[in-house]
Amino acid sequence: MLERDVLVVGAGPAGLAASIEAAKAGADVLLVDLNMKPGGQLFKQIHKFFGSSAHRSGTRGFDIGKMLLDEAEKAGVEIWLQSTVIGAFPGNLIAIEKGIDGGEKEVITLKSKKVIIATGASENVVRFKGWTTPGVMGAGAAQTMINVNHVKPGNKIVMVGSGNVGLIVSYQLMQAGCDVVALIEAAPKIGGYAVHAAKIRRAGVPIYTKHTVVEAIPGEDGTVCKVVIAEVDDKFQPIPGTEKEIEADTVTIGAGLKPATDMVKLEKCRLTFNGPFGGFIPLHNDKMETSKKGVYVAGDATGVEEANTALEEGRIAGISAVESLGLIEPKEAEKMRIEIWKRLEALRMGPFGERRQIEKNNILAEYEEKVVAAVEMD
Amino acid sequence: MAEYFSDDMIVCRCEEVTVAEIKEAIRQGAKDVVGVKRRVRAGMGLCQGRTCEKMVQQILAQELGAKPWEVGTSSARPPIRPISFGDLANGVVE
Amino acid sequence: MALINTGYLEYEELSQIQKLPSDERYAKGPVAVIECVQEIPCNPCEAACRFGAIHIGDPITNLPTCSHDKCTGCGVCVSKCPGLAIFIVNKAYSENTATVAFPYEYMPTPEKGMEVTAVNRKGEEVCGAKVVNVMNPAAFDHTPVVTVEIPKEYADEVRSIKRL
Repeated sequence: MLERDVLVVGAGPAGLAASIEAAKAGADVLLVDLNMKPGGQLFKQIHKFFGSSAHRSGTRGFDIGKMLLDEAEKAGVEIWLQSTVIGAFPGNLIAIEKGIDGGEKEVITLKSKKVIIATGASENVVRFKGWTTPGVMGAGAAQTMINVNHVKPGNKIVMVGSGNVGLIVSYQLMQAGCDVVALIEAAPKIGGYAVHAAKIRRAGVPIYTKHTVVEAIPGEDGTVCKVVIAEVDDKFQPIPGTEKEIEADTVTIGAGLKPATDMVKLEKCRLTFNGPFGGFIPLHNDKMETSKKGVYVAGDATGVEEANTALEEGRIAGISAVESLGLIEPKEAEKMRIEIWKRLEALRMGPFGERRQIEKNNILAEYEEKVVAAVEMD
Repeated sequence: MAEYFSDDMIVCRCEEVTVAEIKEAIRQGAKDVVGVKRRVRAGMGLCQGRTCEKMVQQILAQELGAKPWEVGTSSARPPIRPISFGDLANGVVE
Repeated sequence: MALINTGYLEYEELSQIQKLPSDERYAKGPVAVIECVQEIPCNPCEAACRFGAIHIGDPITNLPTCSHDKCTGCGVCVSKCPGLAIFIVNKAYSENTATVAFPYEYMPTPEKGMEVTAVNRKGEEVCGAKVVNVMNPAAFDHTPVVTVEIPKEYADEVRSIKRL
């Protein structure tokens, strides 16, 4: 039976950071990811990151990805690509469908002392007439097409959603040579950073707040050729008579993300619902440990945020896992965690961050209330 | 404007389940995501509800006048990703 | 605030949030105009300035402030700002013209001497412009800083050019 100290699921910023911390402390770490390359969403991020110097801000996302991969390699992290966890069973057993050369797969059972779940998030969909028409896709999917596969999704894009994803991907679509003919936002305000909005306004992209897409109309070839938008009322319902037709061949939807919790559910970790963090998420404590002992979480799977917070949470999960293996002293681990939580607090400040700090505190408190109290009662 | 939100709109692409079918499942007694899934297979296809779950939750919340957390989320059991019979039949490498 | 509804600010609105260079400072030559108006966790501009002109401090969500007397208008911060929100304005370029330097990350990169169309914060065409400088060293990490010459009266308005 294959055995490892730590299994990390998902090789994005959280999973890589967790793997690095655990391997640096001397643990045998296996990192699995279903994609062909590690790095998660980092290699799609061709823009310079925000944050502090401690987070290598001002550096482009894919360069941060390269640095992390180097670090992981140096630390001795074993990485399986095109590999997926398909089951978790009693006795710390995990079934993994492992990608092997030539596109073949084999199913391997692994006994892992600790498991860190960093499965990220998936895109939300908005439902409108014709949303299943070819040419309608997630903003993240469009970003993968241009920045990873170097293929334009179309030439005339209507972007739905003015969060940072919608704004940044609009900018990158123009860098790739597409025209963004409209950005639609149902709320009365732009959701993402003003500086991101400002740079696409400078490039001439019209931003329609209080608007929604009501229909994507296919042309003769069956793909999108026109998009109908309309103004919405205070309850986000389209106002009849305000429809406007826009010529476009692609609709990209940046309507937020939801945490990917399949693996968390498989491990039967206790979930809680948190709207601002994107839906159902695993309860966890300040060590990033879930209600199931030895199972840790980090990154967007614990609530949708951004790469820097994912990295820091990953570090905490990695440190806590090796602490429980006895590879680092509890005192030392606690010291490291306090430092990281301080940096996380700095990232969760200001008008865009303070809500997430409040929600994070609520989650930690709920863990104390429901998980710790339940254990004490046993 | 109502024509834009007609009930024949597809919600679960993998299993081709419409709004009307989900509403019918709710009329038959489905109270949460799992209930809808069992009755009409929404979320049982290739993507395992990654695309449609949120929309199913919205329809449930709207029809039942429930809060988002009251309509639940789908359960997960192995295998959580589609896997070929061949790989399974080749047995488990230990 | 217009910004969160429309995505751009007029110069007057900007001046209520950020301390902008005085007329006296503008008269002395190139100076950084920081159009960063929200408290987001970000501070690379502070480390980028080797003259110590930009200050953020702790917490990193503070808005940057620029000591315009220390600023030489070198343009390094323009390339470092992840929000592409810093510009160098030189109202003393010539008797009738000014220059505006801005980050430009689209392909192709403009070349010195090119005649281009200057646009304002809304992307509207303002006037013709001439590219007088393109800085794109390795240290700028693929964020070229393009300087255009424009009639002086548009110096507070022009912030980019129409894509080539």
